[in-house]
Amino acid sequence: MEIPPLILQIFGSLVAILALSGLAMAIGLGRKPVLGDEEAVRYAASEVDDGFEAERVSIARGGAAALARDESGRIVLIKRHGNRFAGRLLTGAARVREEVDALVVDCGDARFGPQQLSLDDPGYWADAINRL
Amino acid sequence: MPDFSPTQYAVPLFVLAVLAEMIWSYFRSPAAYEPKDTLVSLSFGLGSTVAGAVFGGFALAAFIAAYEYRLFDFAPNGNEEWWAIWWAWPLCFVLDDLKYYWVHRAGHRIRWFWASHVNHHSSQHYNLSTALRQSWTGAFTLGFVFALPLVLLGFHPAMIAICGGFNLIYQFWIHTEAIDRMPRWFEAVMNTPSHHRVHHATNPRYLDRNYAGVFIVWDKIFGTFEPERAVDEGGERMRYGIVRQLGSFNLLYAVFHEWIGMIGDIWRAPWRHKLSYLLREPGWSHDGSRETSDMIRARWRERVGASPDPVVAAAQDRSAGNPIATQGEAA
Repeated sequence: MEIPPLILQIFGSLVAILALSGLAMAIGLGRKPVLGDEEAVRYAASEVDDGFEAERVSIARGGAAALARDESGRIVLIKRHGNRFAGRLLTGAARVREEVDALVVDCGDARFGPQQLSLDDPGYWADAINRL
Repeated sequence: MPDFSPTQYAVPLFVLAVLAEMIWSYFRSPAAYEPKDTLVSLSFGLGSTVAGAVFGGFALAAFIAAYEYRLFDFAPNGNEEWWAIWWAWPLCFVLDDLKYYWVHRAGHRIRWFWASHVNHHSSQHYNLSTALRQSWTGAFTLGFVFALPLVLLGFHPAMIAICGGFNLIYQFWIHTEAIDRMPRWFEAVMNTPSHHRVHHATNPRYLDRNYAGVFIVWDKIFGTFEPERAVDEGGERMRYGIVRQLGSFNLLYAVFHEWIGMIGDIWRAPWRHKLSYLLREPGWSHDGSRETSDMIRARWRERVGASPDPVVAAAQDRSAGNPIATQGEAA
């Protein structure tokens, strides 16, 4: 039986894709970064909204997520995405709930997903997000 | 003329080059790659090959039909041996690259086209695997129309396809941070890693710039060139991707997110604005609730005290009302 060239090409490409992605994982590329200090959060927040100047910052324990608020009360939610950070400027569509040891913030974008943040000051952020 | 697709032959080279860049990344820049991002980018590449095989026939049929109405025969006997006319090849390559510039510019400035092209920009990484992050939905835009003038001039559709293939192969190697700058003369004429990093960057300074495929001169001619500025040259750290980063490695979401967003906007918009959500620049909204790239850059310029954007000002003077020429997008 003769296999069509397109099928062969697809199969070969699939093998190469899995091999390259597997290799990237095996040699440890893409190590997880952490939001180590306020400056890192400020930088990430300014990427979400150019010129965003964080006045108050809270980093979740572990450094995988953070919240930042500017002078005018706007809030940016930041999460680790692979070995980069991504974020959303929260709107009135954002929802927040307090759990035993964490704040769960849903920015309203299903694909971005709700973020669980263990913070030292969850009450402040819950109030601030609810006021949006 | 044999049935020849240069990109198919280049695939093994692509794989080896990605492998080599991964090794470079391991020693010099471990953050340049992320396994999930690489998996998504390469899956985009495979999917686009399949989509091309499934949907590419429509554009080919249109080209073959249009070729019957060509203005010139470059070869005798009704252009029978079109492939033997040596000078037609470089001419076709240069004109195809000019075509690429405009189709690429439209890909950023018309939301319908952007819905497809955004796929190529949605990685927050800039490496050789990003080059293979090609759209699955290009057939659902009218990008092929930009090639019709070449067909009508008399260039055979197969010649255009082959030149387009080599154009795509050229663009592969410029998707890297491993190369800083090429020699000055090369940077002046050709598209390079430095020029194309600008194109993929989301820093306000760089939005809507450097659309070139092979020859950067098109950007210089049409006023969209922006040189890369390193941090020690007064620039900012490069940030790649799209203004509103996906924040997800879901392949299907990455492929279709802008189509879903655009169709949703058209559905919800008042009747008189529906067409604008299809044809105007990404980021445009009828109530001003979102930002285009021009707005983002203007805000940035005001913040840093820079002078107004000369490119936008010149374009607005030239052709007020033409959304392709005057307005930017949130790329």
